[in-house]
Amino acid sequence: MLLSYLKIAWKVLLRRKFFTFISLFGISFTLMILLVVYALYDHTVGPHTPEKKVDRLLFINRATVSYKNDNGTNNGTVSYSFLERYVRPLRTPEKISISTYFSSTAAYVGTQKLDVDLKYTDGQFWQVLDFDFVEGRPYTPSEVQSGAHVAVLNERTCRAYFGTISGVLGKTIETDRVRYQVIGVVKDIPGMRFNSYADMWAPLSTSTLDAKEPGYFGNCMAIVQARTPADIPAVQAEFNRVVDQVPVPDPKKHAKVYVYAGTLLSSTVRWFNNNSTPDDGVAALTGKVALLTLLFMLLPALNLINVNVSRMLERSSEIGVRKAFGATSGTLIRQFLVENVFLTLLGGVLGLVLASVVLHLIDSSGFIPYTTLTLNPRIFAGGLLLSLLFGVLSGVYPAYKMSKLQAVQALKGGRN
Amino acid sequence: MIRHLFTLIWNRKRANFLLVTEIFFAFVVLFVLGSLLVDNYRKYTAPLGYTYEHVWQIDLDPNGQPISRQDATFERLIQLLKAVSGVRSVAATRSNTPFSFSDSSTDFKAGSKSTNSDIYIVGDDMQDVLSLQLAEGRWFNRHDEVAAHPPLVISQEARQALFAKGPALGKTVRGLDNQDFQVVGVLATSYRGRGEFQELEPAIFLRSAKLVGSADTTSFDQPRLLIRVQPTATAELEQRLTKEIAAVTGGWKSTVITLPEQRTIRMKFALAPMGGMVLVCGFLIFNVALGLFGVLWYNISQRRAEIGLRRAIGATGSRISGQFLGEILVVTTFGLAFGLLVAAQFPLLGVMNIRLPVYLASMALATALVYVLTAICALYPSLLAARIRPAVALREE
Repeated sequence: MLLSYLKIAWKVLLRRKFFTFISLFGISFTLMILLVVYALYDHTVGPHTPEKKVDRLLFINRATVSYKNDNGTNNGTVSYSFLERYVRPLRTPEKISISTYFSSTAAYVGTQKLDVDLKYTDGQFWQVLDFDFVEGRPYTPSEVQSGAHVAVLNERTCRAYFGTISGVLGKTIETDRVRYQVIGVVKDIPGMRFNSYADMWAPLSTSTLDAKEPGYFGNCMAIVQARTPADIPAVQAEFNRVVDQVPVPDPKKHAKVYVYAGTLLSSTVRWFNNNSTPDDGVAALTGKVALLTLLFMLLPALNLINVNVSRMLERSSEIGVRKAFGATSGTLIRQFLVENVFLTLLGGVLGLVLASVVLHLIDSSGFIPYTTLTLNPRIFAGGLLLSLLFGVLSGVYPAYKMSKLQAVQALKGGRN
Repeated sequence: MIRHLFTLIWNRKRANFLLVTEIFFAFVVLFVLGSLLVDNYRKYTAPLGYTYEHVWQIDLDPNGQPISRQDATFERLIQLLKAVSGVRSVAATRSNTPFSFSDSSTDFKAGSKSTNSDIYIVGDDMQDVLSLQLAEGRWFNRHDEVAAHPPLVISQEARQALFAKGPALGKTVRGLDNQDFQVVGVLATSYRGRGEFQELEPAIFLRSAKLVGSADTTSFDQPRLLIRVQPTATAELEQRLTKEIAAVTGGWKSTVITLPEQRTIRMKFALAPMGGMVLVCGFLIFNVALGLFGVLWYNISQRRAEIGLRRAIGATGSRISGQFLGEILVVTTFGLAFGLLVAAQFPLLGVMNIRLPVYLASMALATALVYVLTAICALYPSLLAARIRPAVALREE
């Protein structure tokens, strides 16, 4: 049955090429745009190297100190000492890693200056995150403890500094007049992954950071790994209890200190909204995005409905015959929906192809540094789901209208 | 004739309903996009308030030097840089330099009026560094150190918000921590530190007294400089500056960025979403046009008998195509009427925070565009209709 529906659908598609082109163009471009947006989203907060265990990770990076009498707030990234004092002692997490955000340093290749984004981390950083090592190994917590001047490089920097990426282990790199011994090389991390991104990673103990300095604001972040995804709320609850006890810097001026531990998505949304309320704003954002997506799909869907209604009238004699031979409205609706979903799936496949082309263009344009946007199974599934939704959305009304045709009139070839 | 067209459309309202909805949505999309673009164009063409060519920004990192000693070092550094050949002027600034992604604002009060204003804390030479033009009064100078009230220079927008048409020079303004300030100068234009796409908002300049934040542990501002260099300056000067800075400060790190570079980054961030939206909306409209074309073409081929009859009793080809063009324009008018009804809600409810003239301009723009679009889509099908030969059409019946 299904096979013959698909055969009919295929024949109908070939009959009026221009209409088929309009339908497929609309569907494939709509899906392409949605897929590109989804790929960008997935690229920023999805489970990718190095944040592969994203469902077990929490990020602590921003603090807000509010003034008394609603006199404004101070926002910024947290300091190293704050994290050592209030995050390191947490009991519920499995592992805790503290690191700085990357900052630009200058290395020299001959007389040529090379910008190296340097990030200082502890040893746990390499256990919490999963980097792809091309060569060598990460540094261990005990190496960090002893203040060893060792470093991990990314491929780009390695190539730019040494001219090769093989056999560099044990060599020395000098940046901002400090010498490090290279012990590992990893694949490039996209710049959008700003919690793990850097060109070079070195032990925290080789930086000038002071664990006893009193300020709350600095240039650091913590990544907390829970034992299981279900453990996340417990870790958050413990951290919230700790933050509630944090004294304000100046009791005369300040009212309260706010710091939150959020998932990658929630901490990214917080970061961009400069948000310091308990609600991370993810729900509101999801709602807005869903509404926008629906609105965006509405116009192409209306267009498809319009075209479908026209094409359906063309087949009124076929419908008349089928009705005369006893086909029910339900059968006809089902047939038309199957045909339409077939059409949109075809458009979906085209959309996937177009999306991969566009993603490749974005990658090679270098507009966003170090991106490697590719289609992955999640995006593929997303595309399939969207085309199904689109097919049903645009097929229901024409199918209903088709089933309502009077057999007699339809056979005469007349219109409703 | 027109009344006749309206009747024709009204009789087929069920069939035309989908077309009307499609045109309605196309109009709304064009209207919203148009409002954003027109508004951004307005901002882009407004004066920036400063010049950025040949201005460099130097970010400094004291590299662990104790806060108590940073002030003196910074002062020494500024004096040294002024003497470097190729450098015209040097001024201290906070992190909210032009085109940076950092901003700070606070409330100011003058009498009964108050405003929330961007606040820039800058050194005495900033007027020369950014070529700021003054309409009234003067810029900061050394003697302000001992002034009873710290001096302020305000932009035209701030002047408007705090003093309206009244005099501004010499007046006291209450701001930060209930401190009193005295207005000593008014800029000739607005000042938009966030670049060309910032709304024209009040801006107020404070003289930087202490260069680096005091013992306040919540302050995390790094010392930062803006310098104006001679137009002939090259990367060689940049390298020389970095070396000199390290030497005179005892190991401070420095990064030099030019303001034109900063502006390019800022522009990229402003233009990328706009470009994306234009592309997406362009696709939507093209999609609608294709659909409209297909449906109209199909409709006309369905009405061959009617056309044949009209031709047989003496209607000319141009009358036929005129009728079809007219019909589609009437359908468009219905869609636009709904669309304008919705568009009128935007200024009434203040949805996008855009001024009324911008909305009116983009309404007119979107209306014209939709009419042109539908006319183009209807042109070819109606020409086809005009070419139908009565004998052929009637024989099919």
